[in-house]
Amino acid sequence: MKPLSLAAPGFPASSPRKSWSRSLWPRWESGLQKYGVLLFLLFIWELSGQAHWVSQEIVPSLSLSLRAIAEMWIQINLGSHILISLGRVITGLVIAIIIGVPLAFILSRVWPTLGERVDSLTRVFGLINPYCFFPLFVIMFGLGETPKIAVLSWVSLWPIFFGSQAAFRAVDPQLIKTAKSLCCGPWAIFWKVTAPSSLPSIFNGARVGVEMSFFILIAAEMTGATAGLGWIIHNAGAAYETDRIYGAGICVVILGVGLNRFLHLIRRGFLAWSDYMASPWLYAGHSSPKPVNRIILWLSCLIFVLVFGLGLWKIILGENLIIARP
Amino acid sequence: MSFLRKHAAIFIFLALWEGLSRFQIIDPLFFPPFTKVLATIADLFKLGVLERQITASLYRAIPGFLLATIIGVPLGLLLGGWFKNINGFLELPLEVFSQLNPFLLFHIIILFMGIGEAPKVTIVAWTCLWPIVFSSINGAVNVNPHLIKSGRAFGLSRIALIRKIVWPAAAPLVFAGVRLSLGYSLFMLIAAEMMGASSGLGFMVMRTQEAFQLDRLFATVTVIAFLGLFLDFLLRLFGEKFLLLKMESHLNATD
Repeated sequence: MKPLSLAAPGFPASSPRKSWSRSLWPRWESGLQKYGVLLFLLFIWELSGQAHWVSQEIVPSLSLSLRAIAEMWIQINLGSHILISLGRVITGLVIAIIIGVPLAFILSRVWPTLGERVDSLTRVFGLINPYCFFPLFVIMFGLGETPKIAVLSWVSLWPIFFGSQAAFRAVDPQLIKTAKSLCCGPWAIFWKVTAPSSLPSIFNGARVGVEMSFFILIAAEMTGATAGLGWIIHNAGAAYETDRIYGAGICVVILGVGLNRFLHLIRRGFLAWSDYMASPWLYAGHSSPKPVNRIILWLSCLIFVLVFGLGLWKIILGENLIIARP
Repeated sequence: MSFLRKHAAIFIFLALWEGLSRFQIIDPLFFPPFTKVLATIADLFKLGVLERQITASLYRAIPGFLLATIIGVPLGLLLGGWFKNINGFLELPLEVFSQLNPFLLFHIIILFMGIGEAPKVTIVAWTCLWPIVFSSINGAVNVNPHLIKSGRAFGLSRIALIRKIVWPAAAPLVFAGVRLSLGYSLFMLIAAEMMGASSGLGFMVMRTQEAFQLDRLFATVTVIAFLGLFLDFLLRLFGEKFLLLKMESHLNATD
């Protein structure tokens, strides 16, 4: 936040040179604003353990949980479990996008009457909880990764499908007419008009889908898996190792926040104009959407692809991971 | 007539399911024909099992959902509309809390609350809370400031400002969040009941799975799906009446 200056514009308020401490202060302030409450909560958590306000059996302090993470990292290969969990979510997401977006395109642009007819059916499908069919999936696909990935794809399929269907339906017909009058072929119309105008909504659907499937992933891993964070939590819960529950929980939260941040970054990097279109008054006057650092953007995309690849590789490899505490 | 046309796809799908299963193109052991599923539902109702489980599930889902709505909507509107500075402070903690997985939380809440109804209601409320809070914040932040400025120019008090301007403008987004979280509530409840409960629809799914009574499993899943549709329908009806009213008054006000 800029301090209010009484000087007329064009004239510097006092000294033109800023001392480094004054230029650093706003950064401090914004950092405190961002992380202050969280740090305070973490501090209270740690203090409650150290001062024995609550039993360490039920709420192990932050340091104990972090130690559990380090222990798990060394002893039971926590990194592999994390990669496997992420790999499952991303595989489900990719499958859902591959099925959902073209299906929505067919049902709204290519054959809209059919789309209207099957609307109610897709709504019913979207409400069916795939978790109920888990044993049926096991019967159909066998044990192993396929039923889990089927459940996750089903979960993220419907938000993506509904998001893209709504988007494709809402493409401004005036724009399409204009493009046609400019002698654009169907491909050009798709790439220049339909795709850009529907991308934000498809992306929103994908975000909801990722969030849902990340929730369901933990549950699916709890019931029938031999690897993954949900499995660790389930085992730790059964063995009453609360520090491991909290440790794995911290990992789940960090991964969730990271995934969320990544999707935000993608949105800000590639679809920044859509925010502007949605509510232009937020950017009225001087403030325009803050541009994203391109290097960070591409670096995080690279990391995402790497994690996906590694996770998939580990899933396909079917590594044998032991979990028992020595 | 229009009803039939609108829902023709469902009937065709059900007929297809029935036919494929009857003529043994797909294994009727794994996919019992739809009429048999319906007969099972009727049987279960006669036995009184289904009623009991549905009420047990609804008694968990509805209070959790209502609790989340009652807390979430005012919290979101206040954070987005009034206390923008506090919102800056709370942004990261809220994000972290929203990522606390309900199933993870289940293991921890059980340590505090035991294994009765309370942890399940808490889980549902917790899961429903975040979509509502975030969409309310979003709704309140995205209100056109010109409207607020003109409201101020007319000398509205802060409460009147929220009631007359912020709330009507944010209502569609808030409502979208509420609808989303109603879907979440059933979703998470069924999964939570499958993991540890002694009553409810999720428990029934689990038990029929273990006993390999697939006709009962399909019956339960069908009931769950239609329960979800029905609740969503009710909510939408409520919202359409309610939002239409709001939007009309909103338009009148700006005219």
